[in-house]
Parts: sequence; structure tokens; C-alpha cells
Amino acid sequence: MLFIHETHRVDGRHEDDFEAAYREGWMPTLAKSDDARLLWYANHAHGSGWSYNVVTVTGVSDATAWGKLGERVLHGDLHEWARQLDGLRHDVKGKILVPVHWSPMQEIDLPGVPTDGVEHETSLFMEDTGWPYSSLDDYIQCWYDIYYEPMQRVPADMQLLDIQACFQTAHGSYQRREAILWQKIRDHDRLVGLLSHDFPPEHRRPGSYMYDALEFRDQWESRLLRTSSWSPLY
Amino acid sequence: MLLMHEVHKVNGTKEDDFEAAYRDGWMPMLAAGDDARLLWYTNHAHGSGMSYQVVTVTAARDGAAWGRLVDRIRDGDLQTWMRDLDLLRHEVIGTLQVPLPWSPLQEVDFAAVPVDGREHEPTMYMEDTMWPYEGKLDDYIEACGKVYSRSLQYENPFIAIESAVQPAFGSQTRGEVTLMQRIHKLDQLGRLLGRDIDPALRGPGTWMHDALEVRDQWESKLLRTSIWSPLF
Repeated sequence: MLFIHETHRVDGRHEDDFEAAYREGWMPTLAKSDDARLLWYANHAHGSGWSYNVVTVTGVSDATAWGKLGERVLHGDLHEWARQLDGLRHDVKGKILVPVHWSPMQEIDLPGVPTDGVEHETSLFMEDTGWPYSSLDDYIQCWYDIYYEPMQRVPADMQLLDIQACFQTAHGSYQRREAILWQKIRDHDRLVGLLSHDFPPEHRRPGSYMYDALEFRDQWESRLLRTSSWSPLY
Repeated sequence: MLLMHEVHKVNGTKEDDFEAAYRDGWMPMLAAGDDARLLWYTNHAHGSGMSYQVVTVTAARDGAAWGRLVDRIRDGDLQTWMRDLDLLRHEVIGTLQVPLPWSPLQEVDFAAVPVDGREHEPTMYMEDTMWPYEGKLDDYIEACGKVYSRSLQYENPFIAIESAVQPAFGSQTRGEVTLMQRIHKLDQLGRLLGRDIDPALRGPGTWMHDALEVRDQWESKLLRTSIWSPLF
């Protein structure tokens, strides 16, 4: 399974049209077959980063399905749709992701993903993208050993984050030495607490994640992404 | 056909090891199967851009073949090789590319691609990457094919387009076009670099003038093939 991750720099004057193009164009068009689905449509929350930045993630069953979809976008029935979409955004940057070996999310039942735009509460995700100075394999493993696995021992109602997936880039599609955590924020109040307080010293000592992870990386970027009210997954 | 275009920021103290890894590792490993071939191994010429930058282009037969390569690298027989390669470079940026409809290179006969490291004279390429204005991607692709590409189609040219590509869906920047152009006359390259462009080549009706309707941003890289690069 492949995940096509796209960051769109949307023309702010056309943000509603852009969203409608995905809700009424991309999502139902993909729904006509079983090998691709729009999974997430999320806005980079204003006040936390770039303006009018939209992140979409489209799931495809395998590389063959990706190739067919790409052919439709570049030369087939989706070409005109994509061309019109370009008129609503400044640019788009994409990468193709695969789940790391320990990711809780490996496969998604694509035919079971909603495609009718049914509305729901919005949800907030923290997307962390890290660039290790260790080997990529070691970095991915460290995220399991000192981050994901210990967090599973904390009662769910005490967790800030629900780590739903961890990805690495499919080779050749983007920067190699990078990995991504896709984390749903369980408690918004706790998020505000995280943002507004220094880490207590005990969370920066040997044995803590913040300390031990420095063996593998010191550069990452967090983005706070709010799903739309109709995003198929949320 | 897919092209996997990779820009490697090589550790300068390991450049020979890096090249050997491609010549003695990547190229023959791909040759053992039918999914992919290394096409070009090139160095970004010192004195013309970033130091210790290597550009490689690997062809995959189709999406499924690339997918199998991804799996081999992620957790298969190529995982350790790739991990060791990472020790020889700071980073690598990849882009999956597909040929433009008018590209001279549409398919590669894998059987005809050398995989034995046979040596030859190095050759020079000018790799141009363009970013058309918003909403002008299709217009640029069409104009580049009808006007620029045809303008180079004369006998004994200074430069010739061997491959014209755009990123495949979902890989890197959508609004981008790359031309792999072989330089046939190095003396003319010197003149191009050392002189202003003749006003007669910048007026209405010329590509330099008219192409400004569709783009004004591009980057040229001067790439020198290794002496064993399969294509050169």
C-alpha cells in the first residue's frame, strides 16, 4: 500500500473552491474503482504555520495502481481536473510514503473508506517529520523503542497523542532520510499545555525520550493539521 | 517507463567509494533482473555549482517494477546496501519522472544498456529544470516541444535534447519540467557562458523572448558523465 502525501499552497482567494474540488471531484472520482481513495483532507491550522496550506493523503493499493492513477492525472480523464486545480493553488509538493515495519497502520480497506462527504467533528493531527543524522533504519527503530512502545503502556485517557501511523518515503520519490509520524491529538487542552510550557527537567534527562532521541536526530518539524468536516478519515 | 532521478550530496572524502558503489553495486544488481537499469551516472561539474553533487538516473520498466524496487530497498536484499550507501553521502533527493509526449526518450531497451562498466570518454550534459508560471505547465510543455525542441533539430547541433520529463504524480513539485541535453560542442559552451546573449537572439520571435510568456525561472546544471556511465 502506498500513501500519496501532498502539500498544497492554496490561493487564499480560492480556498473554498479548492476544497470543493477535492470533495466533489477527486473523492467521488476515485470512488469509482477500488484501488485508490482520498483518505485525509486537512488544513494546516492558521496560527501554527504556513497560511492556506492544505495537506491531502490519497491511498493506493500498490505501485501499479499509483502508476495508473498518475497516467490519468497527466494524460487521461483527470488531466483537466488537475489543470483546473492548478488555477486554485500556487503549487503542490508531493511524496509517496510507505508504512514503516512497526506502523500500526499498514493496510487500509480502501473500498470501506467513506466517499459520500458525510460530515463530522473536525479532528487535529500533529504530523512530525524528522530528519535523522543516524541511519534511517535506526531512527525508525528508535521511534518504536523509545517513543511508540512506551506510550502504549500509558492509559489512553492520559495520552496526548494517538500514534496512528509512521511512514518513510518510497525510495526515489522524495528525500530519502526522512520519516513521518501521523498522530491524532486526543486532548486539545493538553496540547495547549505542551505548547505553552517548557519541558520539565525530568523530561530532558537521560532515559527520557527528549534526551535519548538526540542520539538519532535533532531536526524535525511539527505541523498541526485540522481535518475538514468531511475528510474521509479523521 | 519511469525515471528515478536522484541528486546525491556526496561526502567529499568518500566520493570514490560512492562512485564504486554505483559501478560495482547498483548497476550490476539491477542488471540481474528485468525491472530497472542505471542509465546515467554524472558529476555536477566542480566550478559550476554545488560541490560533490552526483546525479544518477535509473529507469524502471513501470510502476510495478518501481514498487518492487522500493520493497527491496525498504526491507529486502537492497536494504543493507542502501544503508551503507547512506554512510557515503549526506542526503539524496529523488524525483520520479515520466517522459513528456514529445520526449525523444520514451522507452529504454534494457538489453541495450551496458552493465559491464565499459569505459569511454566523459561527456557533458546541460540539465535544465524549469518551473512554468502558475497555470502554464501544459502551455510550457507544448511550446517547449513545438518551438525549443525543434529549434535544436539541425545537423551537427551544439546541444541536443535526449530526454524531456516531468515529475510523476505525487513525486516532488508538480509544475516542473526537466530537459537532459547532451552538449556536442564544448567550444560553443565556452562562448555561451562567456558572452552576453546576442540581442538578435533575445527579440520577439526568439525562444528567449517568447518563452517568457510561460516561464522565467529555471536552473541549469552542467553534468559530466563518469567514464563508465551506461549512457553518455
